Amino acid sequence: MSTDRSTPGFVAIEQVRYRYGANDPAIVDGVDWAIPRGEIHCLLGRSGCGKTTLLKLAAGLLGPSEGAIRISGEALHGPSLHAGFVFQAPTLLDWLSALDNVLLPVSLRRRVTAADRDAARDLLARIGLADFATRRPAELSGGQQSRVALARALIGNPDLLLLDEPFAALDALTREELQDDLLRLCALNGTTALFVTHDIGEAVYLADKVAVMAAGRLAHRRRIELPRPRHRDIRYAPSFIAACRDLRDAMDGEAGTAASQRPAA
Amino acid sequence: MSARLPSLLLLVALLAGWEAWCRLGGVSALVLPPPSAVLATLWSEIATGRLWPHLAVTATEMALGLAIGAVVGLGVGILLAEFPALSRLLRPYVLASQLVPKLALGPLFIIWFGFGMTPTVVITALICFFPLMENTLTGVSEVDPARRELFRMLGASRLQTLLRLKLPAALPVIMAGLRVAVVLALVGAVVGEFIGGRIGLGASIIAAQSVMDSSLIFALFIVITALGMLLYEAVRLLERRVLHRFSKG
Repeated sequence: MSTDRSTPGFVAIEQVRYRYGANDPAIVDGVDWAIPRGEIHCLLGRSGCGKTTLLKLAAGLLGPSEGAIRISGEALHGPSLHAGFVFQAPTLLDWLSALDNVLLPVSLRRRVTAADRDAARDLLARIGLADFATRRPAELSGGQQSRVALARALIGNPDLLLLDEPFAALDALTREELQDDLLRLCALNGTTALFVTHDIGEAVYLADKVAVMAAGRLAHRRRIELPRPRHRDIRYAPSFIAACRDLRDAMDGEAGTAASQRPAA
Repeated sequence: MSARLPSLLLLVALLAGWEAWCRLGGVSALVLPPPSAVLATLWSEIATGRLWPHLAVTATEMALGLAIGAVVGLGVGILLAEFPALSRLLRPYVLASQLVPKLALGPLFIIWFGFGMTPTVVITALICFFPLMENTLTGVSEVDPARRELFRMLGASRLQTLLRLKLPAALPVIMAGLRVAVVLALVGAVVGEFIGGRIGLGASIIAAQSVMDSSLIFALFIVITALGMLLYEAVRLLERRVLHRFSKG
């Protein structure tokens, strides 16, 4: 994977806190994190730990109560047009074809050109959907819909890709195929990605670095020193299994700590 | 055709039973005319051309009332959905205006607009307004939050979000409102004519009642039902066209 490691903090999350109301407890509690350009970082945690909120803060969909988020050195104030977002559900528009769904971000900004259509068809071809361009979402499987959502997020070659458990609802084999698609597409343009998941194996397979989140804080960070490009066989390598074990222990440890810190009901 | 055959057979059986009851039971034609007499009257009305001006007036009132009520209902529904503060301010008044029996306003409308088509068109429009307004408001307000967030993320303007997401997503609900409005438009037009019409199918029913012509009343029922079914099917066709177009983007 060709990555430019000269800019260490392409995405910089600085002492970010987020709470819904002034007197509410912090959902995201003092997170510091830097993602160098071209790296894929995964945020791992149980449901309700605040990882989706942190991702929405990084996307500019939410504004931090304290702290700042910078992308390429610029403080974020609202949704970034240089970031692509993949939601938990594919969120495709039912009345548009797969091709027009991929082109949606472009068509909202300007008139779609023949070059845009070619780029969208090329993206669909890269994820194995060349023959499905005219199909509507209802005529696609769950995996195909997720692929279209991924292509839609990548259509403008965004510098940053933010993904919120996008493959969680898919079966294990389709999920692995989509993970390979994602790695391939990110490697193609050196796209930086922040991927939220609760699946330890998925996090280790995709990431250059994994952070475990619990009770709104980043509790454990680990760099994944596995070679790239990654293939499915790597899932059975001792180093992969060791990384999974380490992260699982970290999650178990943090769950215990979080439970002990929780006030008695 | 085979799917409609049982319905047609049932109709034939009911008409045959009705005819037999009138003929064998000695029912007075004044109370219940046999279907054969009703059809003969209907044919006579068509052949002599007496029916057409009445049909034209009722169809025009219905179409105008439906069009005005639907357009205003759609517009108000969008405004109330897009501006919650406006909705909080106006909703009670809109609701109150719908709870007033519209037909009771007929005499007032005759004072305001005189006899003729206008009061009936206004009554029909008022009746058609509500289902369109309510369904548009519901459909536009209840668009999936994740898709709204997607449009925010893509930097879409408020107008783009309305035109490219909310209205297409709400179309099935809006079209269902239009189908209800068509049925109500017919009621509005015919009953509006009862109050102040001199011409039209509703006015013809009142005229037939005054000369105790039950056959003509039944013949007019058939025409009104046929008109309603025709318009309902026209809206279904429009619905299929619109939904099909939007399904292809």
